[in-house]
Amino acid sequence: MDDPQLWISAIQLGCFFGLLALSYYVVLSGTGFFNFAVGPYAMVGGLFTSWLVIEKGFSLWPAVVVALVAAMALAAVTELIVVRPVQNRSGRNQLPALVAVTAVLFAIEQLAGVIFGYTTLPGEQLFNFQAIEIGSAELLPAALELIIVTAVVFISMAIWVRITRTGRLLRAVGDNRDAAALLGLPVNRIRIIAFVLSGLLAGIAGLLFATKAGVNSDAGLTWALDGFLALVIGGTATVWAPLVGGMILGILQVFIPYYLGGPSLSYSLLILAIIFFGLRPQGIFARRVRV
Amino acid sequence: MSTSKTALLDGKSLSDGRFTAWPRGVQANGNALIGVVAAVLILVWVGTNGYKQTLLISAGAYALIALGMYVPFVLAGSLSLAYGAYASIGGYSVALISEKTALPLWFGWIIGPIIAGVAAVLLGTATRRLSGFYLVAVTLLFSEAFQTYLSNASYAGGAAGLTSFRPLDVFGWEPSFDVLIGATAVLVVVVALLLNRLRLSAWGVVVRGMREAPAAIEASGARVPMLSLVALAIGAGVGALGGALFTQMNGSIQPTTFTLNLVFLAIYMPLIGGTGTSWGAALGALIVVELTLNLPSLHTSGTLLVALGVLVIMLVAPRGVLGYLDLGRKEVTRLFRRTGSRQ
Amino acid sequence: MDATTAEPELLIEGHGLEKRYGGVVALTDVTIRLVAGEILGLVGPNGAGKTTLVDCISGIQTANAGTLTLRGVKLTGPASRRAKAGLARTFQYPQLALDLTVGENLLMGRAAKRHDTWWRMIWEAFRGCFLPGPRGDGEAVVAIANELQLRGLDRLAGDLALGEQRLVEVGRALGEDPLVLLLDEPFAGSDPSGIAGIIEVIRTIQRRGHGIILVDHNVDLVSSLVDRIMLLDKGRVVFDGDPQECLTSPEMQQVYFGGQVDLGGSGSK
Repeated sequence: MDDPQLWISAIQLGCFFGLLALSYYVVLSGTGFFNFAVGPYAMVGGLFTSWLVIEKGFSLWPAVVVALVAAMALAAVTELIVVRPVQNRSGRNQLPALVAVTAVLFAIEQLAGVIFGYTTLPGEQLFNFQAIEIGSAELLPAALELIIVTAVVFISMAIWVRITRTGRLLRAVGDNRDAAALLGLPVNRIRIIAFVLSGLLAGIAGLLFATKAGVNSDAGLTWALDGFLALVIGGTATVWAPLVGGMILGILQVFIPYYLGGPSLSYSLLILAIIFFGLRPQGIFARRVRV
Repeated sequence: MSTSKTALLDGKSLSDGRFTAWPRGVQANGNALIGVVAAVLILVWVGTNGYKQTLLISAGAYALIALGMYVPFVLAGSLSLAYGAYASIGGYSVALISEKTALPLWFGWIIGPIIAGVAAVLLGTATRRLSGFYLVAVTLLFSEAFQTYLSNASYAGGAAGLTSFRPLDVFGWEPSFDVLIGATAVLVVVVALLLNRLRLSAWGVVVRGMREAPAAIEASGARVPMLSLVALAIGAGVGALGGALFTQMNGSIQPTTFTLNLVFLAIYMPLIGGTGTSWGAALGALIVVELTLNLPSLHTSGTLLVALGVLVIMLVAPRGVLGYLDLGRKEVTRLFRRTGSRQ
Repeated sequence: MDATTAEPELLIEGHGLEKRYGGVVALTDVTIRLVAGEILGLVGPNGAGKTTLVDCISGIQTANAGTLTLRGVKLTGPASRRAKAGLARTFQYPQLALDLTVGENLLMGRAAKRHDTWWRMIWEAFRGCFLPGPRGDGEAVVAIANELQLRGLDRLAGDLALGEQRLVEVGRALGEDPLVLLLDEPFAGSDPSGIAGIIEVIRTIQRRGHGIILVDHNVDLVSSLVDRIMLLDKGRVVFDGDPQECLTSPEMQQVYFGGQVDLGGSGSK
């Protein structure tokens, strides 16, 4: 447990999962819906940027902007064209919207494959730091930028949720849509903001994480699952809960294979999910939740 | 008070007490007829062309997996993504019987679904309080864990899987590949038929009631948690049949044969084909196989078309293909009848 | 109506029933009694505990204290077990499968009890696949529909008006061939002709010898229909006896009006 390189790896994963979970958190708060499509949004954030830079010769920052805008646009489309109409039609039944969002997940994944190709592209490093030595380990600039940006994002979100009107409304609307509508709150506007914001957060997450091991078009499903787990573990009581959940998941994903061998991770995650979802679905930091 | 039965049933009398005697029954028999005719036509089209036979095998296996998902998902309202695992159980049962024992291969066809049913009951018990997104996530993890298990199971060939089976031996008769192709179509038709009968039967009515009004069903005397498990088990068994079929006909199986992609496609198949009848799952399988395996790559992928197609259908035509055909049929018969029929 | 020679059979008997939800006490020291052929009305203001009492009897909720028996046998376990013992109920908001037909919803009541153990469930599934359905099912459903004057058995339950949906729910309950029928607000949402129809149905059921417990807000309506009335207030039984006496009793005035009021006409809340 004292190998710094492993811890760095765990923290990297933790930051990434935390950002994904935050992306889920925003949509969940604002709409009461688990947007599985954040996985592909993240993939687009990373893959689109890399593709523009490598294949199309864009310079870095314009490519980043385009990719993040694309992620946000996909999120907006998800809400406007898929989730809202399907939810309106199916009332209290969760399944149609769930199935529809998985179809969105696949559509984005396949579209990315068609447009960007199926090979794994390396991630793009945004800032130029020097690598830092910690004991026997090396903190690469890509990892450092992931950690720093994650901290900045979470702090910003924590402030935003508390200070801005939209931020405070987010939770109110998500908890009870009908009551919110009756009170005259701008439900549809909040929903769109929540989705677009989640697209941005996921896009940033994918962009930063792509540097670790590259990114390819079918990462969407795995990342969607990782983010969901991280959110459920952490809970939804505060903005920071997703980060805690992400860190826990990152630690598990690094140390379980290290101590128990590769296959144990799948088994452990399954058992963990069954226990957590069954016994404490509200996560570590709890608000009431209905499974 | 009126005691005339026929007045209540708009002129149709009860023949055997089944509710299929009502207009829905007529529809069920009509669908079955179309299904059989379609199967015959497909077999004729496939003939002995090797490539087309491969398509048919895939379509048949997908159809069975989709039919397997149909029971818990459409009838009982519970979405589980563990079907890759159940199909693998079916396939590996056949493969292992061939590899490790001297028993005839059709044993695998029987044992596989039973083991899958037991697995479904265990998983269902562990997840009995879960639904919606949580259940999807857990069953996804289960699929991945199961795949990992298979990759590391040396008795099952590990990551390389198992290949080269003995031929299928039915009490001394070894059917040729072409005959087996025909049997594939027959199997799918039979399963779709039986599941449709099941949907319309008392069991089917109670299970569908359980989906929408579980408190009422429980208060009427049915044990809801147990009934969910039975539905899951039946679905898993049918899914395992699909796995057994695919493995038997293709002659090999690996841990990655039944991917998650396939499971998601299996959800979409009844939605595309129409959830009102089990034949929709079969039709959806045909459409999906056509799009994903048979279309020459025209700068696009079949899965993309399927995903987009599902979204369009869910938004615009939620009854699926068969649902709209059936609506059309009703309109046509109404036009023909001319007398104002009370609906 | 009592049989002229024999004492009517005691169906439901409950003593000292209590129910708490967290800190809220929903029922306190409730005693209830029902004999065959009797219609018992449960009335009281909102939150008095009427539906909670029905839930505790039917098994949707479990009482925290007290005894409850049906024909002398303790009523325990989940709702499905109590249904097998002979209870059937309708719900405050009709619990129907809206995308199934009227006929199928009626069938659910009759068929549900056959799905009580896993082996019977598997047998029913096998029968559903391979064998023709039991003739008795169709005939029973048609008989019930006749009795309730439900027409168009292949209409979707979701297309019906609320009053007719309640009637279908009653039909489903009848399909169980129960000893005791628990009806929760069967009149709410129906127009006068609908109400008259339901009243006729209830009298028919009574004539067949079932026991009926009827919950409703409309005290006038209930007191004209039932043999005995129980008035609940804040979880306690404050009156148990003749309906007409109840209407003019001080307890009624206390509960609904909080004190003495000159009841000039028949207007009561």
